[in-house]
Amino acid sequence: MTRAATITRRTLLIGATAIAGGVAFGAWAVRHPHDNPLAEGLGAGEASFNPWVKVTGAGITLITPHADLGQGAVHMQAALIAEEMDLEFGQFDTAFGPPDPAYYNRAMAAEAGAAMAALTPISAAMAEAVAGGAMKLFGVQGTGGSTSAPDSFDKLREAGAVARETLKRAAEELTGVSAAEMTTEAGRVILPDGRALPYTDLAAVAAEVAPVRDVVLRPSSEWRLIGRPMARIDMADKVTGRQVYGIDLAPEGMLHAAVRTSPRRGEVLSYDASAAAGMRGVQDVIAVTGGVAVLADNTWRAFRALDAVEIAWGPAAYPAEQAEHWEAVGASFTDARMDAEWRADGDAAAALSAGADVAAEYRAPYVAHQPLEPLNAVVLVTEPRVEVWTAHQLPRFLQQRVAGVTGHDAEQVVLHNQFAGGSFGHRLEFEHVTLAAEIANARRGTPVKLTYSREQDFATDFPRHIAMARGRGAVADGHVTAIDIDVAGAPVTASQMGRIGLGGAGPDTQLPAGVWNAPYGPEHFRVRSYAVPGLAPVSSWRSVGASCGGFFIETLMDELCHAAGADPVEERLRLMTDPVARGVLEAAAEMAGWGRDPGEDRGLGVALVESFGVPVAEIVEVTATEGGIRIDAVWVASDSGTVIDPVNIENHIQGAVVWGLGHAMNSEITYRDGMAEQSNYHAAEGMRMHQCPRISVRTLEAAPRIRGIGEPPVPPAAPALGNAIFAATGQRLREMPFRRHVRFV
Amino acid sequence: MRLTVNGTEHELDVEPDMPLLWVLRDELGVTGVKYGCGIAQCGACTVHLDGMAMRACQVPAAAAEGAEVLTIEGLGGGDALHAVQRAWIDEQVAQCGYCQAGQILQAAWLLETSPAPSDEEIDRVMSGNLCRCGTYPRIRAAIHAAAAALREG
Amino acid sequence: MIRFLVLVLFTGSAAAQEVTVDPPEDGSVSRAEGLAAWERVHDVVSHPRCANCHVGADNIPMWSGPSYGETRPHGMFISGGESRIGAEFLPCSACHVTLDAGQSRTDGPHRPPQVALDWRLAPVDFQWFGRSSAEICAQMADPDRTGGRDWVALAEHLRDDAGHGGFVKWGFDPGGGRAPAPYGLQAHIDDVLTWGAAGTPCETGG
Repeated sequence: MTRAATITRRTLLIGATAIAGGVAFGAWAVRHPHDNPLAEGLGAGEASFNPWVKVTGAGITLITPHADLGQGAVHMQAALIAEEMDLEFGQFDTAFGPPDPAYYNRAMAAEAGAAMAALTPISAAMAEAVAGGAMKLFGVQGTGGSTSAPDSFDKLREAGAVARETLKRAAEELTGVSAAEMTTEAGRVILPDGRALPYTDLAAVAAEVAPVRDVVLRPSSEWRLIGRPMARIDMADKVTGRQVYGIDLAPEGMLHAAVRTSPRRGEVLSYDASAAAGMRGVQDVIAVTGGVAVLADNTWRAFRALDAVEIAWGPAAYPAEQAEHWEAVGASFTDARMDAEWRADGDAAAALSAGADVAAEYRAPYVAHQPLEPLNAVVLVTEPRVEVWTAHQLPRFLQQRVAGVTGHDAEQVVLHNQFAGGSFGHRLEFEHVTLAAEIANARRGTPVKLTYSREQDFATDFPRHIAMARGRGAVADGHVTAIDIDVAGAPVTASQMGRIGLGGAGPDTQLPAGVWNAPYGPEHFRVRSYAVPGLAPVSSWRSVGASCGGFFIETLMDELCHAAGADPVEERLRLMTDPVARGVLEAAAEMAGWGRDPGEDRGLGVALVESFGVPVAEIVEVTATEGGIRIDAVWVASDSGTVIDPVNIENHIQGAVVWGLGHAMNSEITYRDGMAEQSNYHAAEGMRMHQCPRISVRTLEAAPRIRGIGEPPVPPAAPALGNAIFAATGQRLREMPFRRHVRFV
Repeated sequence: MRLTVNGTEHELDVEPDMPLLWVLRDELGVTGVKYGCGIAQCGACTVHLDGMAMRACQVPAAAAEGAEVLTIEGLGGGDALHAVQRAWIDEQVAQCGYCQAGQILQAAWLLETSPAPSDEEIDRVMSGNLCRCGTYPRIRAAIHAAAAALREG
Repeated sequence: MIRFLVLVLFTGSAAAQEVTVDPPEDGSVSRAEGLAAWERVHDVVSHPRCANCHVGADNIPMWSGPSYGETRPHGMFISGGESRIGAEFLPCSACHVTLDAGQSRTDGPHRPPQVALDWRLAPVDFQWFGRSSAEICAQMADPDRTGGRDWVALAEHLRDDAGHGGFVKWGFDPGGGRAPAPYGLQAHIDDVLTWGAAGTPCETGG
C-alpha cells in the first residue's frame, strides 16, 4: 500500500544509547528528540527498541501510554504493536509507562491544526490564538479528544516493526544467517531451516547489535489482527474481579482519607471537628484547600467521621441560583460578548431581514460526568520523591501539580497510572489528586488513599458547560435556504485551561463545535458564538461542545425541514457535498428503512453531527405509549476510517449512544444556594437498562485517515431523539433534559 | 462478627452498622466488590448473601452475622468461569468494567431463579445496576446466551 | 444542606416509644368530631411516607421528596410484582435490607429505608395512592378491605406493627432527612379510634 511507503521515512529515527548496565535501543524522535524513558530502568541484557517495547530474557512488555478509561486503549495500543511485531496475545505484559515527553500525543496537535485550517473566514491572529490554546492543553502526553487511535495507529505499528527487525538483526548476529531470509511468528524469529528463536532469548544480543533504522509497515492485506474481532486483553480480569483499579489499592501501612470541600467552590469559614476526632478509627482531621479531610483506618470510618464535622461554607463566586445562570447566558448575545463569527456563507442577515420561517431558542444544561469509580488517588510522599497511584489523562501536568503541592520537582513525582472505572472527561481534572497530595504531605512516609464519596464527587464535579442557542432560518420552494445561529455559553476551554495553570486566549473553539462545522452548504449560513463570563467552572464532558452544538443545529435543521415540507434526510443530503458525511447519512437511512410509515404514535428522527473529524448519523425510532415515550431502536452509521477492532468499536459506539440519549433524557446539574442540587445517581442517572433500545451499528471506512470514535457518536443522539419525539407526537423539544417536558417509559 | 466469604470463614471486630461493602473491601481486602454510590443506586456492590443478590452497601454488618457471602472472586468456584462470566467474555461486554462484577452477580442470581428470562424480566431485574459506559445491549445479549448455555447444561 | 451517611440508631422495639390503644366507647363520639379525626387520618395515609407504597394494581411504588420534583415512579424500573414483595423480579429486600428488631439501620439521604420486616407494598386492596379521601375512608371502614379489621383492630394493627419495628413506626420516623408522616403515631392511633367510635363516618362525594 502506498500509505505504508509514505510512513516509513516520516517518523522513527532509531539510535543506540549507551546506558549504565546495558544498552537501550531507540532514542526516538519526532521533531524534537526525547530520550527513551525505558532506558533508565534497563538492566544488563535487556533491550528497549523504542519507548513502547521492552524485551528481557524473562518477558516482553509493551508500553501503552494512553490511559485506559474503559475504551480499550490498552488493548488497542498493544494490538498495534503486536501486529507488526508478530506477537500473540498472552506473550506479553502491558504497562502504562512513566509520564514522558516521548509519549507526546501527535494527534491532539494535529487535530487542533486541522481544525484551524478548516476554519473559514477567521483572522490569522484568531487562528493562532485558538490553536495555541489547544496545543498547550493537549500537545503533550494526553488522552482525550478521541485521539488515542489516530495518535497510535502509525506510531505503534512502527514501534512493533522496529522491534521485529532489530530482533531479526540480533538473530543474524547469533546464527550468521541473513536477516532477509528470516521471518517472524508468535514471538519468535524463524530461520530458513525451521529453527525458532524466541524473542526473549535474543534480548541480550539485540542489546548489542546496530538497530534497524527504517522499517516498512505491512499492507492492510497482511494484517493478522487489525480489522478482526479481538478478545480484549482486559476482559477476563474484568469479569472475574481481578482487574485492579486505583480505588482498590492498599499499599502496606496505608491510611484511608475522606474529604469534603466547598460545594460552592468557596472558602471554609469555620469548622468544628470535635465530634469526629474521637470516633473509632479516626487518626486525624485536617484542614485542606477549600475543605476538611479525615484520616482513618477504613474508608467508611473516614466518611462517617467527616459527616460529624460541622463546616460553614463561604459563598460561591458564581450565581447562587440556576435561574440566574440562564439569565446570564440569555443576556450575552451582544456584540461586546461575541467570541467569534465562525462561518459567514452568503449573507444570512440579509436573507432573514424580511423575517424568519423558524426562530427558536435551545438550551443545554450543566451535566455531571460521574464515572462509576469515584475519584481517588493513593499518594506516598517521601523526601526523595512522591509516588502517585491514580488513573489520569494528563500525566505530565499531574506531575507538575503534585510537585507544586509537596515542594518537589516535577521529575520527582512518579505516577503509576491505573485502569480507570470510566472517565468521560472527569479524569482530566487534578483537584482530587492535589488534595490527596496535601493530605499525604502532612503524613510523609505513610501512603494515603483519598476516596471521594459519591456525594463529594457530585458536589465538586466540574460539569459540562451550560449553553443556549438562538437560531433562525428561512425556507423557499420546499428547501432550506438560510441558517443563522448564535451560541452562547460558559467558555469550557478557558475554564479548564485555567485550572491547568495555562491562560486561555482567543475564542473558545468548543462553544460552536458541531455547529460551525456542520457539513451543510445552504446559500446563507452564519454561525457566531458568545462567551458568558462568571458562570460555574466547567470541564470537558464526553464530546464537549458538540454535545450542545449538535443538539442545537440538528434540532433547528429538523424544524427548518419541517417548515419547508422537506424530507429531513433528503434535504440534508441536498445540502451536503462531503462524500464521507453523505455516506454515513445514506447508510443510516438505509439501515433504518427511512421513508417507511412507522405507524400510529411512532416516529423516526434523524441527526448528523461531525465532531473530532468524524461524521456520525443516527436515526432513532420511538413510540408514544401510555406509560411515556419508549425508545425502540437506534441505527448508527459512522466513518472514522480504518476500524481496528469491529467488536470493540461497536461496543464503544453503542455506549456513546447510551451516553448521549440517557443524559439528554434524564440528567442535569442545577445550582441552588450555590450548590449542585443533585447529590447522587438517584437524581442524575443517565440511562438504565430498561430505557436502552436496540442499537444497530455500521462502521464505514471511507474516511482517508483513522480517527477516534469515543466521542463522535454522542452529539447526534440527543437531536435524533428529540426529532423522533416530534415526529411521533408533534411536541418539539428544545431543552435538555427532555424529562422536563416529556415522560419516558 | 463471623462471616464466610467465598468459602473462607472470618472473625472480625467491626461496628454493627458498618456496611458489608466496607467490611469486605477495607477489612478483608475483597476488592471485587465495588463502591459506586453507597445508597443502592448503582448495584456495583452486589453480592450474594446466603444465596440472595443484595446490595452490600445496605447490609449492616450485624445483619450479615454468620452469613455466607459470595463475591465475584468466588463465582464459578474461583478458577472455573461461571456460565455468565463466559458469556460476558464471548459478548465482549465490559468497557471500563467497574460495574461488571455487580452486573454479573445480579445476572447469575436472575438465572438461578428464572432460567429463560424475557427482555422485560431482564429489564426489571437488571435496571438497578447502573453502567455508565452503556454496555446494556451486550449485557442483555450475554444474559440470553448464558441462559441458553445453562439450559443446555 | 448535603449530609453524608448520617447514622441514626434505630430503636426497633416499642419500649422506647410506648404507644397504646385505648378505644372510646363505640358511639361516644359525634359525627363531626369523627369527620375531623378522619381528616387527620387522611393527612397521614395520603402522606408520601404511607401512600408511596399503598399503590394500585400496577405494583409500582412511588418516590417523592425535594430532589425528585413531583412524585414519580420508583427509579430503576422497580416493580413489586403481584407478590407485592418483588419476588417475580428484584425483591424489595435486595436494597431495603430486612433488619432484626433492635439492629441499627444504615441510614442517610436517599438510601433505601430499612425496617425489621421484609420491605413490601401494601396489598392492592389497600390502595391509597391516587385515591380520594372519600375512597380511602370507605375502604378503611370496610373490614372486607382491611384484612378483616374493624376500627379497633386497625388501631391495634398500628400499635403492633410499631412494636415489630415495622412500616408504621418507620413512617413517623423515616430518617435520612425525609419528611415524616404528620402528628405522630400515638395521635394517629387516637384519631383512628375517634373516627371509629363515631361510626367510621365518611364525607360522601369528596
